[in-house]
Amino acid sequence: MGRYAGVLVALVLLCVYLSITQDVFLTWGNITNIAKSNSVVFVLAIGATFVVISAGIDLSTASTTAAAGMVLGLAMEAGWSIVPVLAATVLFGVFLGLVNGILITKLRISFLVVTLGTLSIYQSFALIVNDGQTISVFGEPGFSVLSDFVNDQIGPFPILLIFDLVLLLVAGGVLRYTGFGRALFAVGSNPEAARLNGIEVGRIILITYGIAGLAAGLASIVQVGRLTGASAQADPTLLLTVVAAVLIGGTAYTGGEGGVLGTLIGVLFLGVVQNGLTLSDVSSFWHGTVSGVILIGAVGLGVRRDLNWSARRRRTTPARLDEPSQ
Amino acid sequence: MTDAPPLLRLTGITKRFPGIVALDGVDLTLHAGVVHALTGENGSGKSTLARVAAGALARDAGRIEVDGVERPLGSPKEALDLGIVTITQELTLAPTLSVAENIFIGRLPRGRTRAIDWAKLRADAREVLDRLDVRVDERRPVGRLSVELQQEVEIARAVSSPSRLLILDEATSSLSEAAARRLLEVVEELRSRGVAVLMISHRLHELYGAATTATVLRDGRVVADVRLPSTPPSALVRLMVGRELRDYYRKRTIEPGEPVLEVDKLRSRDGRLAPTTLTVRRGEIVGVAGLAGSGKAEFGLALAGAIPSEGSVRVLGRPADLSQPHSALAGGIGLVPDDRQRSALLPTRSVAENFSVAWTGELTRAGVLDARAERRRVRAAIERYDVTTGSPQRRITALSGGNQQKVVLGRVFDRDLAVLVLSEPTRGIDVGAKSEIYRLMQDRAERGAAIVVISSELAELLGIADRILVFFRGEVRGEFAAAELDEERLAHVVVSGGPLEPAA
Repeated sequence: MGRYAGVLVALVLLCVYLSITQDVFLTWGNITNIAKSNSVVFVLAIGATFVVISAGIDLSTASTTAAAGMVLGLAMEAGWSIVPVLAATVLFGVFLGLVNGILITKLRISFLVVTLGTLSIYQSFALIVNDGQTISVFGEPGFSVLSDFVNDQIGPFPILLIFDLVLLLVAGGVLRYTGFGRALFAVGSNPEAARLNGIEVGRIILITYGIAGLAAGLASIVQVGRLTGASAQADPTLLLTVVAAVLIGGTAYTGGEGGVLGTLIGVLFLGVVQNGLTLSDVSSFWHGTVSGVILIGAVGLGVRRDLNWSARRRRTTPARLDEPSQ
Repeated sequence: MTDAPPLLRLTGITKRFPGIVALDGVDLTLHAGVVHALTGENGSGKSTLARVAAGALARDAGRIEVDGVERPLGSPKEALDLGIVTITQELTLAPTLSVAENIFIGRLPRGRTRAIDWAKLRADAREVLDRLDVRVDERRPVGRLSVELQQEVEIARAVSSPSRLLILDEATSSLSEAAARRLLEVVEELRSRGVAVLMISHRLHELYGAATTATVLRDGRVVADVRLPSTPPSALVRLMVGRELRDYYRKRTIEPGEPVLEVDKLRSRDGRLAPTTLTVRRGEIVGVAGLAGSGKAEFGLALAGAIPSEGSVRVLGRPADLSQPHSALAGGIGLVPDDRQRSALLPTRSVAENFSVAWTGELTRAGVLDARAERRRVRAAIERYDVTTGSPQRRITALSGGNQQKVVLGRVFDRDLAVLVLSEPTRGIDVGAKSEIYRLMQDRAERGAAIVVISSELAELLGIADRILVFFRGEVRGEFAAAELDEERLAHVVVSGGPLEPAA
């Protein structure tokens, strides 16, 4: 709590405003629609939250999703049954994430350089494997499982919504109640202090990028299901939306603090804004402007609060305030 | 005293932070040509007052006059323009710039074409460094230097600035004794030229050596203004803590047990530590002295697996793997590093997590953290190590330096380790907290640990250690029983690397 309180208040106010001005906003259909259409972003943002807490970032996340999606499409096309298909997809995502992690921890290359490089490589891989063509999975054996996963409901609740909530609980539990979660916060807060206390910093960071890859594998399943096909081209706004949601949700890009509940609120906030703009018939060309302003505004307000906070502490000159805290 | 108005007069300064009143109506008057000491325990408001005087922190109430003229003093820039220069223990250098550029940052010498006169810059920097006897290439990037040398560059910058009031906020705390002495010589020179000096230090002998008057703070209030050196240290300490501090170093008689730590030809791979051999027995506290760069810091880091090393180390007869900190810990060797901010604290996390980061392995089963056991253990540790904090959930950075250090020590003490390596365990903390930390160290030794204390404070080593090793240029030059030494003779060995002189 605290780091995302402002965004939560803004989200509530926005929902109140939209429910007054837009009749459809508060309908169950619209609400489940918001949940479903933001699922890919949400799943990726959960993985990205781990990476950002470690004081890193995974720029390859949308490309990984596209690449894992192609594996899913090709495996279905090849007639694999659904369980091995899904397992292969998720494992491939984990594999790509671990490749990032190994390059960062073993070869000690900056995460910015590594994931910028793999952003390009993984995207290229997705194009190469099927000659740039989208793979339609509609009607393939096992498609019904995929389709039920993204479309069906249990009572009034979409399966996808339940899936997202389970993911939220698991990720939150890992961060809060496991040795790994504690070690991750320590590494993000001060890697040298973590190391001297016996934490294997490289291993923690490696796992973190593996988690980001796992999230990308899961997100690709949702995405292929919703689009009924695997697109070789990564969604160009996906990376920005994911990172924006994590940062808006109060996870600090300097590492060592944040959490998945904040990320949920960040995703919802961006999702509701998009939904409101659509309902209000604002041209979609404007959506990016609004998201960008929100990102800068929310993180800017957070930084201002941190500045006020630390100005009361021991740091002396303003020049040092914008340095990362490790 | 002349009739001229005081250089700086603070009246009724009040500063509140959420939950506490850090300064409560403090008055302080500083005169040109006078070194004025500001003392008090951690959290008594010394640094807060220094920062208000330096324009780095806005006051909630009170009046500031410079040369009898009221000033808002709302920014560090305004203070600097008035000639108020501060040296703190926090480093404010630009790591990628050279030593010379850092010294003259913001006032680089210019040639006729307004281009920077690099030759003059280097010559000027050389002069300042020579005056402080700092042996460092002025062209080197500051980020490549050790913390101690960085602190000396910071000092070179401050003392070469045109100043009328110099504020030293624990400026000597990360310096070796020799470097501190040089700084104090420069301070004396500035004072004789009419500069006013406000000095905060936990090293009482420095205050007695430099200052002629002292203001004592306790809980944000002035409890006394006294003259030095006519007020004896015991009286000053009594004013600071509000009680008598006897047995500052509680002497103990130990029966050293079996060898716990056996170091055989341990050397660092970068060559800064020559092969070193040492045995420490159960219950023993061994002190390590030496100048900056003598290898004493590397000895501690190598023992803890924090830097690459070669040689053999046995703990309770079993070989310890020093390739990584976690393997050294598994072998029974724990480290409290010398730089709290840089290598010990998790600044974004709570007091509780700063404790339990060292216990994660013991508190988890199959990867899952036992949150209830953690809460219990943290609560017990806060009590045992006497940490003053509103709640275990407070951010560690909201605590005073002494309380932060108790957390850092406590988390390592609370592990079941046979060997504890403590590097500068009382750096930058007050007298009251120091004596508590000595007590904790002695208790831990009595409960069966072998303790290695690395310190730049010789009096501390003489008080706490049973034996003292002196490092010089990377190797041990002497090993003495603490009882047969006094500070002066030890200092001679530390500075010269020469043999022990016979007692006078």
